[in-house]
Amino acid sequence: MEFRPRNYSAELESHALPRVTAAAHPLCASPPSPPVAQVDVVDRGNSDFFDPLRGTDNDANAAVPDHDNLNEYADIQPTKEWTSFRRLLMQRFPVSKMVSVSTMPDVLMRSGKLHEKSSTAMHLEELDDPQKFADEGVKTITWQEYVSRLHELKDEITRSWQAEDRVTSLKLSIKVAKLLMDTSVLEFYPTLFVLVTDIMDMLGNLVWQRIKRKAEFSEDGTLRCSLAENFQARDICADAKETCYNWFSKIGAVQELLPRIYLELAILPCWCFLFDQPLDSLRRLVMMTRGLGDPVASAYCRLYMAHCAQKLPSHDIGYLVTCVNDIRVILMQILSANERSHKNGEVNKKLQVSLMEPTIEYIMKCLFNGLTQRQVHEVLSELGLMKNQQDLGSVSCVSIILHHLLKELPIEVVSTNVVQILHLIEFSKDNSFGQHLNYRLLGFRLYERKSPAHIVNTVLDKVIQVIGMYDSLDEYLKVVDAYTDLILQNQMNNHLNAILEGISSRALNKRVKEDEMLSLQSFIVKLLSHFKHLEDVFSLVQFPEILDVMYGKSQDVVFLHILNMVTRDDHISDPTSIQLLFEIAHTLHDNVEFMNVKDDDGQVARSISRFVLMVDYGAEMEQHLAFLVNCRGAFGRFNELKETLVHSSNSLAIQALKCAKKHLSFFKACVTFSEVTIPSVSAQRQFDLFLETAEVAFLGGLVSHSDGLIDSAITCLHTLDIIDGFRTPTDVEGLVSSIRKLCGFLIMVPGTFSLPVTYFPNNLFTLISSRSWFEPKMRTQIFSAIILLLTTLSQKRLPYHANTQIPGNDMLYYGDSSYNQELVSLSKLVLENLLSAVQQEPSQAARGIMALEACNCIASSFMQLNSELSPVCLTLIETAKSCLSAQDRYLQSTVQLLNKQCPTFVGTMVSTSV
Amino acid sequence: MAVELKLSRSNRIYRPSEALEGKIVIKTQSSIYHYGIRLTVKGSVNLQVRGGSAGVVESFYGVIKPIPIVNRTIEIKSSGKIGLGTTEIPFSMNLRQKDENLERFYETFHGANISIQYLVSVDIPRGYLHKSLSATTEFIVESDKADLLQRPLSPEMVIFYITQDTQRHPLLHELKSGGFRVTGKISTQCSLSGTISGELTVEASAVPIQAIDIQLFRVESILLGEKIVTETSLIQTTQASDDGDVCRYLTLPIYVILPRLVTCPTTLAGPFSIEFKVAIVISFQSELSKLHKKSDPKIPRLWMAMETLPLELVRAK
Repeated sequence: MEFRPRNYSAELESHALPRVTAAAHPLCASPPSPPVAQVDVVDRGNSDFFDPLRGTDNDANAAVPDHDNLNEYADIQPTKEWTSFRRLLMQRFPVSKMVSVSTMPDVLMRSGKLHEKSSTAMHLEELDDPQKFADEGVKTITWQEYVSRLHELKDEITRSWQAEDRVTSLKLSIKVAKLLMDTSVLEFYPTLFVLVTDIMDMLGNLVWQRIKRKAEFSEDGTLRCSLAENFQARDICADAKETCYNWFSKIGAVQELLPRIYLELAILPCWCFLFDQPLDSLRRLVMMTRGLGDPVASAYCRLYMAHCAQKLPSHDIGYLVTCVNDIRVILMQILSANERSHKNGEVNKKLQVSLMEPTIEYIMKCLFNGLTQRQVHEVLSELGLMKNQQDLGSVSCVSIILHHLLKELPIEVVSTNVVQILHLIEFSKDNSFGQHLNYRLLGFRLYERKSPAHIVNTVLDKVIQVIGMYDSLDEYLKVVDAYTDLILQNQMNNHLNAILEGISSRALNKRVKEDEMLSLQSFIVKLLSHFKHLEDVFSLVQFPEILDVMYGKSQDVVFLHILNMVTRDDHISDPTSIQLLFEIAHTLHDNVEFMNVKDDDGQVARSISRFVLMVDYGAEMEQHLAFLVNCRGAFGRFNELKETLVHSSNSLAIQALKCAKKHLSFFKACVTFSEVTIPSVSAQRQFDLFLETAEVAFLGGLVSHSDGLIDSAITCLHTLDIIDGFRTPTDVEGLVSSIRKLCGFLIMVPGTFSLPVTYFPNNLFTLISSRSWFEPKMRTQIFSAIILLLTTLSQKRLPYHANTQIPGNDMLYYGDSSYNQELVSLSKLVLENLLSAVQQEPSQAARGIMALEACNCIASSFMQLNSELSPVCLTLIETAKSCLSAQDRYLQSTVQLLNKQCPTFVGTMVSTSV
Repeated sequence: MAVELKLSRSNRIYRPSEALEGKIVIKTQSSIYHYGIRLTVKGSVNLQVRGGSAGVVESFYGVIKPIPIVNRTIEIKSSGKIGLGTTEIPFSMNLRQKDENLERFYETFHGANISIQYLVSVDIPRGYLHKSLSATTEFIVESDKADLLQRPLSPEMVIFYITQDTQRHPLLHELKSGGFRVTGKISTQCSLSGTISGELTVEASAVPIQAIDIQLFRVESILLGEKIVTETSLIQTTQASDDGDVCRYLTLPIYVILPRLVTCPTTLAGPFSIEFKVAIVISFQSELSKLHKKSDPKIPRLWMAMETLPLELVRAK
């Protein structure tokens, strides 16, 4: 067996791909195609695009086993807004921690403890005979039972409808609607509302479908006419009209007001069958709602009205304006009510208002949806908010209504009427909603788009003056937070100073509460994002003091922000900054153990690593190294960081090397620092780091150091197999490529007389063969690399050297035959193992590729495929043929190579040629 | 074997000048012989006087001879055979006949003491050996378009005030002294196909209001010898405001859809009359009211205030 002499530079040239100048960058966007065509494509795509992630509303679907109406019913699904609104409503007022209607029976079995008391008719059975119920006194029913009973009722209504027993359906629906009369358990009311209106909507759809069917088909099932989307009442036959009127009569005969309104709302669209103008009914219903005595019940009734009115083909917003005005009157009554009239006065009032809030929110949304500016002004004046532009002082509103109004107002209206709005806020001060929250909202709204400076000035002058009176830090911060962006955007430094002082005077010398901390955090983050340089932020008055009052999670968030801000682009060379940031990083590091979220840890570690990388002491390298030493001591918890430290010290070493010879001791210090740091890094990263440090040490002429590091690198592979979770394909590939890199490095490393010349390759080989977890594929790749290394070492002239100071093996062992023999004998051993590794691969396709790899390796490493090697190559080719298709390009090119390298081989190949 | 009457209109409403149309549906397992198929239309005013307002109970109690409106029989088919399976025999019969005129065709009405009812029945005699087949169904008569009120409905509404001083019954002390004032307007002439409409406003009330109801009464009078026996009964209660106090100065609508069958045009005939009343009843919150859950709505209570107005119902176009 004889190594093949190789001319690496010639081979490189012959194998290099031909280079062609490219006219355009391949990743540049191609010139845009005509935009019209594109839009067209997009539109078509959207219309029949099915989003698999968009879940269907199970509740609604499950409830309609009606075969006849299934398709039509599906058309009238509740709007997405309504569905999500209902979900939010239930979430906002959870009945218990286990609100999960679909998993009802399980919940019921697990816990029977949750009893909810209701003073009035809760038991549905008792509804038939309220008298009897009243005699028996208060009964309790768990809310689970209640909810499951409601679901049963819904099924019952559909069932009797299908059985043509519509009277029963109606009767049951009336009973269900009556449930909403009970407001005794206020917290339960929103959930109840959602459940009941679900049934009401279903009934409404069933009635609508039935009358539509009557209008479209005659009794014997023949098609009479097909109703257009916007049909007229005169298109409807008398029979259908009769049925429709009958429904309204039956519902009109319900004695109680609340169920009567709900049921009429449920079938509200059916008025279209009778009149072309169903709006009159809507106006009457709004008025009728005023008769509802309970404020919460009446607010939710209006909510349902706003929902149902959207099903009408067209509706004006007059009824919504009336709704808002009526709610305002009711709220004013609640707020002014005498404490003694309520048993638990203030608490009850608060709860009532908070229950009413979502209804106000939804109605406002409906009211301002898609209005023109002129319409908005009309609405505002209808609401009594614009009556008297000159005398604004007298106009006021209930603050909770004002809040949601302000939320929905178009931004143009906000910015043109900001002074009026400011007045409104000022004069709307009551218990329904915090006034400061309205100031806060105004701030956010103003920031939505650029407002003229004088307006911002006016507002801020006023707001700063108002909040100057606040004692509460919480309220102060909430308002300040909303205006920070405006202040920064308009560079109002006087205001900025004022609020910073305001905060510090309220925050210092007292413990800041958790929720205040969140506002403070938001405020500081805004400051940090605004300024480019840390120095600018720290030079603000009171900023360091304010930073000092922070603690806990918010402190971490802010610190992390500071760290990220500083390390964004520039190197950090100012010692004071470095010191400050070091302390910040240290705090973050120490706090990590309190945050258990994995992701957070990663972020902190990454940011600190980045900080360490960005630190630059320039010529003061000793200081830099000292800094790294400090970091190692301070941030012991982050593995990733230690890796960064090694990289940093290595690059510091290289830097020192470039400077001058006198830094040799410093260079040694850096390498030593790296060397002692690596063992504390996790095992999977050690190999790379050892290799890197070895290269650095070698470059600096520390050959024995380097040898030691290579030894450590190979040794650390020992410990790898005990670590689980290392076997991901990327990790494995990474390791193989690192080992190949080591082989490439070993070419330069000179042998020493105390050790055998093949000491490192042999060690590597022994280790790999002895470790069972190295898979055949890895072995094939590594063994091929070792063979190629040995081939290279045998060359008369090595392809590359470190530098002139360190002689390569080609000089040390020039013409030494024992040297060559040692290489050959190791090659033989490796070759044997390589062949067996190929045969061990279980996967057929992989085995074929591996056989070709091995074959290529042999062909380029050894001379004359003599009797010893040619059968080996033949077997490998056979293996490859059995595993791969004959057309495989790799197989073909390998056969070609073999033929070229060894003409004697041709004869044998012809017979087996494909 | 079954016979059924199917009317041409699903709501079964016919006018006197129109023909009653429909079909007789006979389902039979075997063919049957019959002596003719006869259709009878019968309409009458049935009167009954119960005790109480009549004064002397036992002697007057009982059914008074009904007033016939129509009673006519026609033969649809002469004797013959009906094959097995389902047989449908259409019919048409004019309600009003020129020559015979028993009585006016009053509109259908189901009251407490007075009931005006129209029935159509089919009779298929099959000799003495077999049971005859028969079926009866009610149909509803509404006035002819020609007989309808020619003048338009008066759009005027009656304005009412309800205060502590308009009440003729004793009130709770705090009501009497604190005072209250509810005003509004209500239509007193209504179309049967329309609604009782109007509005009301609570302007003041010292005691919180529990509920406001609109009550519809019928007043049935029967001439019995020399006496007129009158009974007033509640047909329907409709809440205008429910459990809880009403905001002051917010206008509430009055909107009552008139129920069918139990209402008819206000009728003043010789032997009987049917009239209606509407009452606005305000109940105030009071501990006392809880003790009297079940009570006659006609009896004024201490915690209630009311205004009763006559209501003329008409069949309009």
